Amino acid sequence: MTLALEDIRVVDLSRIWAGPYGTKLLADMGAEIVKIEALDRLDPHRGAVRPQAGTGNYPDGEPGDDPWNRNGWFNSLHQNKYGITLDLSHPQGKDVFRELIAMSDVVIENFRRGVLDKLGFTYEELKKIRPDIVVVSMPAFGNTGVWKDYIQYGIGQEQLAGVDSMGGYSVAEGPIKSGINHGDPITGSHAAGAILAALMYRRRTGKSVLIDLSQLDSSISLMGEHLLDFQMRGQNPTTTGNQHDSFAPQGVFPCLGEDEWVAISVTSDSEWLNLTKAIGFSDLGEDIKYADSSLRKQNESELLSLIGEWTKTRDKFDITSTLQSSGIPCAPVMTNEDIYDDPHYQSRSLMEISDHPSTDIQLLPGVGWKMSKTTSEIRWHAPMLGQHNEFIFGELVGLSSDFIANLIDEGVSGTEPVGA
Amino acid sequence: MSQNESTTQNSSVENLLTGISVIELGDEISAAYCTKMMAYLGAEVLKIEKPSIGDSARSVGPFPDDVADIEKSALFLYLNTGKKSITLNLESSSGRKIFESLVEQADLVVENLPPGKMESLGIDYKRLSSINPSIVVTSVSDFGQTGPYKNYKATPLQHYAFGGLMYITGLPEREPLQMKPRLPEYGVAQNAFVASLTALWYKDSTGIGQHVDISTAEYSASILENGLSMYSYTGNKLGRSGNKGYGRAAWGIYPCKDGFVGVIAGPEHRWSAMAELMEEPKLAEEKYTERSGRQIYAEEIEALMEPWLMSHNKQEIFEKAQELGLAFAFVATPEDILNWEHLDNRGYLPEISHPEAGSYKYAGAAFQAVGIEAEWQRAPILGEHNDEVLSPIIENLNMRVEDLKLEETI
Repeated sequence: MTLALEDIRVVDLSRIWAGPYGTKLLADMGAEIVKIEALDRLDPHRGAVRPQAGTGNYPDGEPGDDPWNRNGWFNSLHQNKYGITLDLSHPQGKDVFRELIAMSDVVIENFRRGVLDKLGFTYEELKKIRPDIVVVSMPAFGNTGVWKDYIQYGIGQEQLAGVDSMGGYSVAEGPIKSGINHGDPITGSHAAGAILAALMYRRRTGKSVLIDLSQLDSSISLMGEHLLDFQMRGQNPTTTGNQHDSFAPQGVFPCLGEDEWVAISVTSDSEWLNLTKAIGFSDLGEDIKYADSSLRKQNESELLSLIGEWTKTRDKFDITSTLQSSGIPCAPVMTNEDIYDDPHYQSRSLMEISDHPSTDIQLLPGVGWKMSKTTSEIRWHAPMLGQHNEFIFGELVGLSSDFIANLIDEGVSGTEPVGA
Repeated sequence: MSQNESTTQNSSVENLLTGISVIELGDEISAAYCTKMMAYLGAEVLKIEKPSIGDSARSVGPFPDDVADIEKSALFLYLNTGKKSITLNLESSSGRKIFESLVEQADLVVENLPPGKMESLGIDYKRLSSINPSIVVTSVSDFGQTGPYKNYKATPLQHYAFGGLMYITGLPEREPLQMKPRLPEYGVAQNAFVASLTALWYKDSTGIGQHVDISTAEYSASILENGLSMYSYTGNKLGRSGNKGYGRAAWGIYPCKDGFVGVIAGPEHRWSAMAELMEEPKLAEEKYTERSGRQIYAEEIEALMEPWLMSHNKQEIFEKAQELGLAFAFVATPEDILNWEHLDNRGYLPEISHPEAGSYKYAGAAFQAVGIEAEWQRAPILGEHNDEVLSPIIENLNMRVEDLKLEETI
């Protein structure tokens, strides 16, 4: 097993999705991620300490005796990481944290702005402990600017970044948000990239780096052409539903079965001719009413109904295979179940086996890409709460077993959550 | 010389990726956003474009006043800041020779040609690594370099559909919906940046290069929140919930006086601030406080919020709520964003001028290394750096520029 990033150690104070997604990308490449949680403030993705039964986050909806170890949301974001618990507001917790920083390369946090400073760990202080430390601070609105103390979740970032202003079935019906909170993975991936770029700089110069990662800036960076568009054409870009601005026809069509759909695009005249042949409407291909993209755009709604008539009695996978073999961009609208069962995703090992003591074997999202010479696979399951306390405190930091026992007695560390 | 006359990084400041040499064979977004970040961070990025037409992002637009011009496409101008452009016909043998000379000197190649195309051109990873054993080649594609659908064609609509994002966007009783911004392609470019730097880190440690295979489909499928783990754990399917996050009231998009606002009520201990903000004491009632109550009494809560929301503007609602510690947002337009004092304070919207396209405010850096001030450089004109980059190579290879132009290699 060859791990590309095995010589990098990251102290990870990040929570929820954005930060943990970023450190997952690095953990999967072999970086040693030491995730720190406090017993009275678990990562919210571990769920409530005593949740109600029945949610999809727990195996068969059963929270069980240790629900914090059984939450699928948490468990799919923390494979390949080490997990410890440490109270950073306690003097002994601070001491251990200092020792850990001294032997680490990176600290990442997504607390509200100023929280880490108040705990006594400003960037200057961290640099005193480890002069070439890389620190990634990722508050919602960054560390400067009039909104710097505002707070936000991924759901709001997508709205503020302008994404939702272009979403929806039609302008008249108003915006619709996307099905996930895009701001989180966008920011998390930028954080992972920032860490590696900063480490490459440190390797050349020996210098420490502080990264100010505003989740808002990070999200707007994916909207660059739309910001230019407003300045170039003097109007805000708006939704066109499932249709395209210029080429036609394009749409999402009903298929055989309940709530089954297929997405088809015709981007050129030759694709149009191929489509008409493939669906048995060759006469349409010869009709001058549809001869080019702008004519098809003018008559798009009638074309959409015709195609929909053809798709609705057919299976979305069969349609895709038929149209793709005629060179037409087409894809089934995949549910989470479809993705799970799909031969293409399976051949790419999108899902990997994760054997976990409290959930048994599950298939969870694996590593997002393939490397030809270094390992990319799930090596171990997401840590149970405080699972690696002994390893990190004992073997890595070198604390005595008496000292560790005392940390647990004092409630500075442990494996059981405190409070409801 | 002003900073915008050249696309070369002439800053003397050592940046995070100074000294890294990158070749991009990119079309539109999924490779170009990855190398755009590298260029901003000080890497030298050589973009290889097809003679006379270039990257298809040059033809996509949007364009000033809707007049098409390959030097004025918003998509191209944004995605290619700080890069050098050379034109090269890789179908010709002299074009390939020149490309191979460039690869000898490079650290990284990022490409998003259709899978198999690099091989048919005779420049796949195997060949390139025989020229330069430490080269890293990152291949970005729609579906991946392997698997039964590797040759399928996709537009942004298919990216949303196949990756699972579309099915969960929209109203339950209507058809699933794409989003107009091309987030899956930007997202995979971001992860290609992480994967490429991972491979470069390993190369710097060991001298060993490698091939990275990354796809838009897998990126999209891996960000379905807990969708995939949920299916494994319980067999439950994700559905569409319109504008309501997690099916409860006061978490989603609501109309207000001048647009739409993101009401994001957050944890129970902050709920009392909702009543204060909306000047509606009834909202403070016990039964609405718990998250389960927000589900059961969603309609009552929404009726209580509506009068206040409809009599206030979006930015005002956002700022008032934030002052009370509530993580509200609003549905901002590009016009709104371009006028925010906050972004101005952060220097996030640099003005970049281009000799043909003109001067505009650009979206800035996704993250800032504090104290390391990078300069923004404009996107290149098609083939702008042919002389500078190619002349020494052509001379070295004993080729004649006139011949290459004649056979349309450059």
